[in-house]
Amino acid sequence: MNHSTFTYEPGEHEAESASNSYVMSLIAIIAGLPLPIVNLIATLIFYLGNRKSTYFVRWHCTQALLSQLSLLFLNSYGFWWTVSIIISDELITNNYLAYIITLIVFNIIEFVTTIYTAIQVRKGKHVSWWFYGTLTNLVCKP
Amino acid sequence: MKKIIFQGVILLLIVFSAFMCMRQLNWVKLFHVQQITVKSEQKLGDLLLDVILSADKENKSIQVYNSIDSIVNHICLKNNINREQIKIHVVEKDEINAFAMPNGHLIVYSGLIQNSDNQEELTGVLCHEIAHIQLNHVMKKMISEMGLSMIISISSGNGSPVLIKKALQKLSSLSYERTLEKEADLKGVDYMINAEVDPSGLAEFLFKQSNENATSNYLQWASSHPDSRDRAVYINDYIKNKNIAKRSILCKSTWNNLKDNFN
Repeated sequence: MNHSTFTYEPGEHEAESASNSYVMSLIAIIAGLPLPIVNLIATLIFYLGNRKSTYFVRWHCTQALLSQLSLLFLNSYGFWWTVSIIISDELITNNYLAYIITLIVFNIIEFVTTIYTAIQVRKGKHVSWWFYGTLTNLVCKP
Repeated sequence: MKKIIFQGVILLLIVFSAFMCMRQLNWVKLFHVQQITVKSEQKLGDLLLDVILSADKENKSIQVYNSIDSIVNHICLKNNINREQIKIHVVEKDEINAFAMPNGHLIVYSGLIQNSDNQEELTGVLCHEIAHIQLNHVMKKMISEMGLSMIISISSGNGSPVLIKKALQKLSSLSYERTLEKEADLKGVDYMINAEVDPSGLAEFLFKQSNENATSNYLQWASSHPDSRDRAVYINDYIKNKNIAKRSILCKSTWNNLKDNFN
């Protein structure tokens, strides 16, 4: 994660909207547990609602969306693994528990990072995540 | 673009490495995850068998054992079932009953053999019970009826005699859920078809039992398997349009001799 200067100084309203894209994913994580798809849908709706907004808002909505997307694959796999243990003969193995704990760790990291980013962006600071920031630069143009 | 690919690969490596590190710890032991292992199922089956054989006498007649063994052998051979997995025990008891126990023990009461009008009826019941074993219904049902911790407690030798007796009662009068029962019925019918045995034998047996006095203590198999008439109907529907070769596993004299042992 790095703090860099954006191409322009975002206004108060822009900072609020951009920060809300992260807040939205946080609320949806809490509301959507244990279904991993809910937070992605919520972030996607917010992204679609803001795609005609200013560059700063679009950029942060895209970063929030992309970060949710990669966690979706990890969480979905864990979710269906758990379902198969509940409804079929599959056993709780060491691999399963290791995967779930890894999943929890990465979700916590993502959760904390999202809160931090939401606060910083609300202050008008530009926060670019490692990998996701670079990816966002590629797909989100001014 | 190269930077993104590089960062993506690094990120994947971090996730993968974290998972591999987590795998090094024995979480199952750490969280005291209770599991039914093959060993505990073996112990449980053997323990319950001991209780049955201490209360009722096992028929040790070679002729009886060989006859039942021939039927089970033929079914297993034609259905690619590991024969060694099924352990037959003929027990001297008037109840019309047969039931599967953990670790593949198949208890057949002499009352069932005595009251089977032909070998297809007996084969049908045996196929149904083998299907329960193959589909792992026995342990599933025991865990749902008694709870995992209680089953583990019994199999680890910590179960009280009352608990063991309760487990046995559950098994001998085990009425599976309708879906499991139907699954075992149809699987049993498939076993019979593959073995070229007339599957209507099972339907006839169920139909016969539903017509008799269901409250009788001797009709344990039918009364513990509800809706015998419905089951006979769906079995007949299932085999209606199937081209089934019909042959007898035992020759007539062997079947008659088997029946004579209990008359």
